[in-house]
Amino acid sequence: MPMKKFINDPQNLTAELLEGLEICFSNKIRIVSDKIVCRANPKSDDKVAVITLGGAGHEPALSGFVGEGMLDASVVGDIFAAPGAPKVLEALRMFKREAGIILVTLNHAGDRMSAGKALRDAAKEGIKVVEIVTSEDISAGIDADPEDRRGLAGCVPLYKVLGAAAEKGMGIDEIVELGERFNRQMATLAVAMTGCTHPQNGDPVAVLPDDEMEIGMGQHGEAGGGRSKILTADETAKRMIEQLIKATDVNSGDNVMLLINGVGATTLMEQLIVYRAASKILAERGIVLTDGWCGEMLTVQEMAGFQMILCKLDADHIELLKAPAAAPYWSA
Amino acid sequence: MLTIGKFKKMVARAGREVGAREKEFSRLDAEAGGDGDHGTAIVAAFRAMQTVEGADFKSYLKSLSEALQSSACGSTSTLYGSWLEGMGEAVGEAVMELDAEGVAAMFSGGLEEIGFVTRAREGHKTLMDALIPATRVLSEAVKNADAGIAFSAAAEAAEAGAMATCAMQAKYGRAKNLGERSIGPRDAGAASMACIFNAFAHEAKLN
Repeated sequence: MPMKKFINDPQNLTAELLEGLEICFSNKIRIVSDKIVCRANPKSDDKVAVITLGGAGHEPALSGFVGEGMLDASVVGDIFAAPGAPKVLEALRMFKREAGIILVTLNHAGDRMSAGKALRDAAKEGIKVVEIVTSEDISAGIDADPEDRRGLAGCVPLYKVLGAAAEKGMGIDEIVELGERFNRQMATLAVAMTGCTHPQNGDPVAVLPDDEMEIGMGQHGEAGGGRSKILTADETAKRMIEQLIKATDVNSGDNVMLLINGVGATTLMEQLIVYRAASKILAERGIVLTDGWCGEMLTVQEMAGFQMILCKLDADHIELLKAPAAAPYWSA
Repeated sequence: MLTIGKFKKMVARAGREVGAREKEFSRLDAEAGGDGDHGTAIVAAFRAMQTVEGADFKSYLKSLSEALQSSACGSTSTLYGSWLEGMGEAVGEAVMELDAEGVAAMFSGGLEEIGFVTRAREGHKTLMDALIPATRVLSEAVKNADAGIAFSAAAEAAEAGAMATCAMQAKYGRAKNLGERSIGPRDAGAASMACIFNAFAHEAKLN
């Protein structure tokens, strides 16, 4: 099947999409040194910088969350591919400061390798940087080793919490503590109905039979957990939220944030129907839905499916999530 | 045993032979549960290294590594970039020709650095299943044979290691998420690493 996408030279996808992002949101972001997306109005050097890294092809993630109250920069690789370690090091040098840098790395082999190498070199140069690794996907099992769990769209609310804390002028140790606590208290499950084509070579990624869905599929369409016949929105939501409630250990009276992230081809209509079903189950159990979001945050081309993210919130998290933010694809 | 001129030809040949099998490597990646772009990534890596120069082993390897890691993306560039970086660190300054010990040290240094960036080892269904035995066999073979024979032995070990990944369940990289379903296809990274050693051997055998 030929690839149906509005693209030009497949080798220029990342450069062209970043160019579009910069022109469209020129009041919020600017691109430095080809692949480093920075805030148009940087915050002062006495505040902690929050940086992330990752591949492209997942728009609006990750660069769409660079802006006031969120990320200071995202280091972009290529389609589904992490940036090289030298690029990450370049960004760390750019944001070197007394207050320190927090580098958020999603747990994927390529991202971890580049971050690991850059962090080793940064330490040699005396750059103060602390890494937070997200690995909130529970498809490998609730008790799975964090090293075996993937970082999915849960990085987005984490960016919000870290960015707001940094904007307030909190110290790096305090921010890392509340960020790691947020990180530990969130869980994500993904479900996919169709795969997608790799936009650079047109090859299919993660092929699924027409009448099946798969819970646990990752954000590059890489296969994950169990397959089943397609279920209704309510049945799918129930199956997923129950596992997330168990994983985050939320109980009656606890505050939570629920997010649905459409991964590309699933309509907002479907996402909202699922959101409604999941939130009803939370309400039935007396769990308090304090904050939420439904829409596309981290996509996988034209894959059909969504990620459901549940975060157990403490008082400080609730306040930070409500703080002002002005990124291209997140405002508060 | 191995001159810088010969080594450059080996790298160029590896680029050509990998390039000819781009589709196969992407397909293997997708079949084993990855995101189906290993062929694209490895070809991009060799493209980034195409115009690199350097008069001696150290400067050539350093330039290759930098070119790869700064212009190409993804785990492939970091892994291969680290491999070449480690190789460069293990050879002396301004060396134009390596003896047997030098060749063994260079490839061992590469393996050491790549082992820093990935936790994957033999049996985990990654490129390490080809690289580790190839390095081991090469280091031994260079002691008693010429470069052509030694690299041929290394290539055979890499190929055997790559074929052995068919029966393995992935433990690292994206393919690990597939669990038992990752058993069957060869690992794409091991297959391309075996292809590289094969190209090294083909070139090393020529005068």
